[in-house]
Amino acid sequence: MRSPVMPKQALPTKVFHWVSLVSLFLMMTSGLQIYNANPVFGGRSGLHMPPIFGLGGWLAGGRHWHFAMMWIFVLNLLWYGIYILLTRRWQHRYVSGKDVKALLVSQNVKRKNYAWHRVVYTLLIPILLLSIFTGVGMYKPAQFYWIVDSFGGWDALRITHFMAVPSTLILGFLHSQLGRKVGGDRLLDSMFWRNN
Amino acid sequence: MTQEPEQKSPNTELEIDDGTDTIPRRRFLNLAGAGLLTIGFGSLAEGVVGGISEPLNQQVESLIFQPQQPIPEFPITAIEPDKLIVNSFRGTPTINSDAYRLIIDGEVNNPLSLSMSDLQKLPLTSMVIRHVCVEGWAAIVQWGGVRLRDLLAIAKPLPQSKYVYFYSADGYYESWDLDSVLHPQTLMAYQKNGQPLAPENGAPLRLASPVKLGYKLSKWVTRIQLTSELGEKRGYWEDLGYEWYAGL
Repeated sequence: MRSPVMPKQALPTKVFHWVSLVSLFLMMTSGLQIYNANPVFGGRSGLHMPPIFGLGGWLAGGRHWHFAMMWIFVLNLLWYGIYILLTRRWQHRYVSGKDVKALLVSQNVKRKNYAWHRVVYTLLIPILLLSIFTGVGMYKPAQFYWIVDSFGGWDALRITHFMAVPSTLILGFLHSQLGRKVGGDRLLDSMFWRNN
Repeated sequence: MTQEPEQKSPNTELEIDDGTDTIPRRRFLNLAGAGLLTIGFGSLAEGVVGGISEPLNQQVESLIFQPQQPIPEFPITAIEPDKLIVNSFRGTPTINSDAYRLIIDGEVNNPLSLSMSDLQKLPLTSMVIRHVCVEGWAAIVQWGGVRLRDLLAIAKPLPQSKYVYFYSADGYYESWDLDSVLHPQTLMAYQKNGQPLAPENGAPLRLASPVKLGYKLSKWVTRIQLTSELGEKRGYWEDLGYEWYAGL
């Protein structure tokens, strides 16, 4: 390696990132296909999404993709959660009081960027877990009626589930850009492409 | 994956333009292209994806389904009369309710042919439940009618019967698992929101249940047939590609 500071990524982390990227893409696009059958905002004559972003070709196809990929998406989060618990990565790889302090008092721009980076990717986790929670409520609203009730009804549940799309897109974009700020393109490379 | 040779040696150009950006940018364009291709080919492959995943999903769905567990109901005040959308695949059939008969046959000990007045003599069950459509909308509705389990208790299914077909006056057909048919809130309904069922909602008799998606809830049902095996045809929408179990 020419570069002395080439970041190294653990293989499980790289696998997790790849599977997350692909499964989230398929969940979102198939989700938009389902959305278009009866838009969350406005019903049949409401706000439709451009069909080019819809995976599956028609409602049944979108549902097939959505309910196939949900397993991969959920199991990927599950095994990675177990992995960060077992390796104790959760103790030092996610946002902590030190980052909050850095954001509040530090004059060091690099330290602040790093803190923002950790805030953003840590925030992605509850957002993704919330999309699973609301998704289960919509998939099985009779058996998990309490999930629907906890959102105050069907429409609120649908909106919350849909909001996973913009929130994940925005946080994912910020995550990639903050990653580049913190570690440059080489950090991005080390996560997705480069063998090290 | 091949690697692009990267120029990381001191290079004054780096400060001047964003030449370092071309590789990530190219990769981003590759990703965007791969995404669009995935949507294209993925849409063509949806049947394969469904064919692989649906058996698994169906096993999980029937495993977590509790056939005896009633789904909590809503108060009358929660009814949403404007939210129930009328869907049908070829319009509302004309049915003379005086001449109407409901046939229950197939693998049963006691085949039945019931008139509306026969049905109305049986115990009336009323429920306020959420009706959920595959399209994504839902409506809280009151349904009143006869429990299917009460009807089957009279018809006496043979021990080997596992599935139930519903045939409708408009040619619509559906098939269900027996567990869901015997759920205490699966009704043959003739009342909606306290009124006699309207023709466009399935009069004189339709299926109503909180445990299945709307397309399983056949309107204008004229014949209920019990069977030990599912045939080639499983339901109008199912035969076009929708899920068969469709449990909620």
